[in-house]
Amino acid sequence: MAMYTQRSTLTQKVLGYGGLAVVLLIVLIPYGYIALTAFKPAEEIFDVRWLPRAWSLDAWRYAIEFEQFHVYIYNSMIAGLGAAVLALCVAVPGAYVFGRKQFRGKDVMFYIIVMALLFPFVLLVVPFTILWVKIGLYDTMPGLWLAYQVFIIPFAIWILRAYFAELPPFLEECAMVYGCTAFKAFWRVMLPLAKPIITSLMFLAFLVGWNDFLFSNMLTTGEGPRTASVIIYVSAVGGERVEWDVLMVMTLMAGIPPVLLYIVAQGQFLKTFAVRGH
Amino acid sequence: MARQEALHPAHTLDISSALPAAAASRPRTAGSERWLIWLFLLPTVLFLVLLLWLPFLQGVWMSFHKWPFIGEPQWIGLQNYRDLFGAAYFWTTMRVTLLYSLSTALQLALALGAALVLNQSFIRLKSVWRGVMLMPYAMPPVVVGAIWMYLLDPDLGMVTHYLLSWGIISKPIYWFSDPVWAKWIIMLVASWTFWPFMFIILLAALQAIPESYYELAEVYGANPWRRFRAVTLPHIRGAMLAAVIIRIAWNLAKIEQPFQLTGGGPGYETSVLSILTYRFAYLSGDFGMAFTVGLLLILVTFVLIAPFLRGFQKQIKQARRR
Amino acid sequence: MAENIGIRVHNLRKTFQRGRVQACRNVNLRLAEGALMVLLGPSGCGKTTTLRCIAGLEQPDNDDAIWVKGRNITRLQPKDRNLAFVFQDTALFPHLSIRRNISFGLDMHKTYRRAERRRRVNEVAELLHVEDLLERKPHEVSGGQAQRVALGRAIVMEPDAFLLDEPLANLDAALRVEMRTEIKRIQKRLGISTIFVTHDQEEALSLGDVIAVMKDGEVQQVGTSHEIYHHPANFFVATFIGSPPLNCLPCHVQTDNGALNLASRAFQLPLEAAGVASSLRNQGEVMLGIRPELVAIAPERPDTVAARVSLIEPLGSRTIIILEAEGVELRAMVQGETSAREGEAVHLRLDLERAFFFDNAGNRL
Ligand SMILES: Nc1ncnc2c1ncn2[C@@H]1O[C@H](COP(=O)(O)OP(=O)(O)OP(=O)(O)O)[C@@H](O)[C@H]1O
Ligand SMILES: [Mg+2]
Repeated sequence: MAMYTQRSTLTQKVLGYGGLAVVLLIVLIPYGYIALTAFKPAEEIFDVRWLPRAWSLDAWRYAIEFEQFHVYIYNSMIAGLGAAVLALCVAVPGAYVFGRKQFRGKDVMFYIIVMALLFPFVLLVVPFTILWVKIGLYDTMPGLWLAYQVFIIPFAIWILRAYFAELPPFLEECAMVYGCTAFKAFWRVMLPLAKPIITSLMFLAFLVGWNDFLFSNMLTTGEGPRTASVIIYVSAVGGERVEWDVLMVMTLMAGIPPVLLYIVAQGQFLKTFAVRGH
Repeated sequence: MARQEALHPAHTLDISSALPAAAASRPRTAGSERWLIWLFLLPTVLFLVLLLWLPFLQGVWMSFHKWPFIGEPQWIGLQNYRDLFGAAYFWTTMRVTLLYSLSTALQLALALGAALVLNQSFIRLKSVWRGVMLMPYAMPPVVVGAIWMYLLDPDLGMVTHYLLSWGIISKPIYWFSDPVWAKWIIMLVASWTFWPFMFIILLAALQAIPESYYELAEVYGANPWRRFRAVTLPHIRGAMLAAVIIRIAWNLAKIEQPFQLTGGGPGYETSVLSILTYRFAYLSGDFGMAFTVGLLLILVTFVLIAPFLRGFQKQIKQARRR
Repeated sequence: MAENIGIRVHNLRKTFQRGRVQACRNVNLRLAEGALMVLLGPSGCGKTTTLRCIAGLEQPDNDDAIWVKGRNITRLQPKDRNLAFVFQDTALFPHLSIRRNISFGLDMHKTYRRAERRRRVNEVAELLHVEDLLERKPHEVSGGQAQRVALGRAIVMEPDAFLLDEPLANLDAALRVEMRTEIKRIQKRLGISTIFVTHDQEEALSLGDVIAVMKDGEVQQVGTSHEIYHHPANFFVATFIGSPPLNCLPCHVQTDNGALNLASRAFQLPLEAAGVASSLRNQGEVMLGIRPELVAIAPERPDTVAARVSLIEPLGSRTIIILEAEGVELRAMVQGETSAREGEAVHLRLDLERAFFFDNAGNRL
């Protein structure tokens, strides 16, 4: 990747590092504070100070033993994984066709799909709830997986299509001359080539499931597969006194895994998001 | 040579792909592939039709009804629309929706600044900083909401505490229920949460600018500002427009944060259109009205992104010609 | 014909966009078993389309267009044709090692056991001098090596025919010459019918047992290098082949007291003496085409043409002299050097006996 290596003047460096510091502080101050809060004993929540006077794991113990928060974390994980697998099974073949094959009505269809990106999904909650109850998907994990697809598929197709389109031309044709059917050419050649982008979309799709609140809240009940997001919402807004220290533990538990995923797959994401204006 | 790139094709989100590909590569399809094409398209089309477009059309149909949660729907024509436009809260809602979408501008400013800084060659540990910056966006919005609820809490929140002790405010402000502050707060928290999305898109676009352009600009003696105007900006304009479009649409459509922080109140002061939809559907049980608001939301979204969409298409056409 | 036909293309028609683009109007080719045919023609004349139709990557409009070894394969799937196609940009599979690339076809068909497949790959790799690269990935080899690998992938299949679409176009000049010799040698050795597409005439002339010259989706002429060069079927073939290009001079045929003359702005030459009269009698306007090597500087005589030397291009073994006669530009080519100087007035002898004459429609007279 191009990185302009000019001789940087001192002013530039000062400005650059200064800007970096400002942005980092904007992000890190809130996180730092809540991370420390998670280690404060309950009675210390009421005075504003950074370092706990006495470090304590009470809040963690409470979150796990009493609130059973790890169960909801597990639910979130399954929700994310299932959503990702389902999304890719649907989107990869579709995107492949949009990226590399010609057929009538292709452009219109692609427009319609990409338009779905801009759709206000809150509108779907009502019809989904009605329909899910009717067909028995309400309050089930597969019901969640299915619902998430409306977020993921348009986005996945948009990104995957561009990727497939940019793979070298003639590869499938070559494979077909050397003994593949059209399907086998996709399976043996194109799919392995798309592995990096598929991995990063897996992450992104997983995060959709992990992070979602709207559908998990509307399509599940306390009995069913509630995800961590919903529990956090309930703990923060749900009526009586808020146990801030416990809530901050939960935010850390729900918030850190996706951050770790992002960090692991960073390079990949950056490439995925490289928007070409040209 | 082209082979070199073959293994590492630029994995790019091709925004020009949003336009019909005008015979970019020559269409070559043998008849035997027909079945594959339709088979591969089937799941995608099925999913989107069944999960998106049918419910949507059903919703349009509902918006012409009085459609209670329990009981028979009743055709009332345009009555929902008349009621909506006649209601006092309608204009409150529109105002706060516009304000809320302004968050996009804030996000863009922060994202552009951060991306430009991180694109400087002298900065070390780039990937660490990049990871840190992505944190707010990577976490569930509800998590970020909860964090800010805590930080902004009027009694024990850090923000109130410091503002008081520095003498900026004289008594605690109930940020989420204050009629003046609530709408600004949801806007600011949304900006804080979602700016990294733009950041990552802009950074990727910046990194894709060939170095030679800058060298050329320097040879011609352009100062940093001129270089930014002449080289950087034209190269990232497409990415900026795309990011703005997506962000506007998603900001308007996502409800979890304002829902969590203020629940749409006080009154209707923070009931952006998506929250209003939600309130009608789940608090009043009036699905017809909920969809009427939802359709309006779609309309507002398109009105807001239309100018950017135009700019974006112009951008792509220019790129094509080059 | 008694000989075995390896590949036969019969009245091939291929249109795109519901008939709006005619890539192949009516292509007919016959290639003897084991021979090498070069398809030559300007860009867009339908060479690639013809080849793709043969490989099955494109569906011809007519049902009896493609025959290989006496079998009509027009509607067969590409994978069932047992043909090998080599693409211009090699189309090696980036995620597979060179070995797996070469054995791709064998792996797909699984006719042979693993050890046998391995043995064959090694054999082919040796033949093509890529045996040291087998464990590398395609992006780790040079352009010429990649092209060899692409060839290897074709050869290892022992196909009924090779189809090569400008396989050398991406290579630099020296490598091209080397590779083309090698391709020819390997083709001869394996004796597999081959169609080689190029728009480089030197490549075509040096390579082909037979050359088929195409234009606008139709075959203009099929013949050996010698035939194509010295006996072009029409004006297009004559001008398309040859470097430096054919001199073209619009003339008219005059009858003077029963004697036939060829007249143009620059000259008036007796035809009878040149022994080409018969076919030109009764013609009015004709196009004279004469190869530069048939134009020579000579002492003045009644049948020479006055001209002025405007430029000299020495090419080492040959020299091209660009001349101007009454506003008409002519090229002469001589072996070695020339004593002529730029600006000098000279006289030219045109070897009309070996020149070509074309009517208005471009047909040879
Ligand atoms: N899929 C297609 N759709 C529309 N037109 C096509 C298609 N394929 C080829 N053509 C047209 O058919 C004609 C012949 O194309 P072809 O690729 O066979 O030419 P070519 O002789 O191989 O040229 P080149 O030397 O440039 O490779 C061209 O005018 C081309 O534009
Ligand atoms: Mg071609």
